[in-house]
Amino acid sequence: MKINTTRFGELEVDKKDIITFDEGILGFENLREFFVVDPGDQTLILWLQSCESGETAFPIIEPKIFKADYTINLLPSELNSLTLENLSNASVYAILTIPQDVTTMSANLKAPVIINNATKKARQIVLQDSKLEVKHQMYADLKKSIVSYHSDDSVRTRVSQTQPTVLSQETITEVTPNTQKENLQEL
Amino acid sequence: MLVLTRKLGESIAIDDNIKIVVVQIKGKQVRLGIKAPKETKIHREEVYQAIHDQNIEASKADPNSLSDLADALRDKK
Repeated sequence: MKINTTRFGELEVDKKDIITFDEGILGFENLREFFVVDPGDQTLILWLQSCESGETAFPIIEPKIFKADYTINLLPSELNSLTLENLSNASVYAILTIPQDVTTMSANLKAPVIINNATKKARQIVLQDSKLEVKHQMYADLKKSIVSYHSDDSVRTRVSQTQPTVLSQETITEVTPNTQKENLQEL
Repeated sequence: MLVLTRKLGESIAIDDNIKIVVVQIKGKQVRLGIKAPKETKIHREEVYQAIHDQNIEASKADPNSLSDLADALRDKK
């Protein structure tokens, strides 16, 4: 299906890449269907684009990219709500806020978006961990990991594209630096 | 909304397994103790409000600030 977006123009989205938020996202409860766009701008930032509202998209990133020790503990009821047994088949993203002064950008580590890669069901889950911040400043850390990421030749072809691409969760896992398997187990 | 009056030390039971106790009353502040099963999610309402506001802010990111960000991040200085 074709979806018109304000930021990326018209995108062709495969039904299997559509992610469903049954409860919506806090503040956007009426929007249920999204997909992930890689804008190809070499920032490792992806976009969670709404299917129903072309102008609504959230910049997202895998928190492990700038915070290697980010771990989340989900309650059994939270795992159940996504029909997950653990996080090994899930994608975890933090929603980013990017103000005009980009150096003050922040990531919401308190309420990550968790996607079941098999069912494509997702939720923004508010974690109980009181140390996690809604506005975690991370510009410097992201910059550090991008500089080191770009010096890794094996992944350069992946990030050098300039056209927006719709990603399935399977392809996304390839983007993660380091060994994905290890990361997921820590989660 | 159900409204109940409680004195210091008194409590409210919700279902069979959640108990809310008035632990302290000091001026305009009330301290509540909450006994609930581990899997119960308990947050101050402000946390939800903060996440709500943050989501709204996040959705306003425009491609221009993103290209500024891309430039700033690639700048090795």
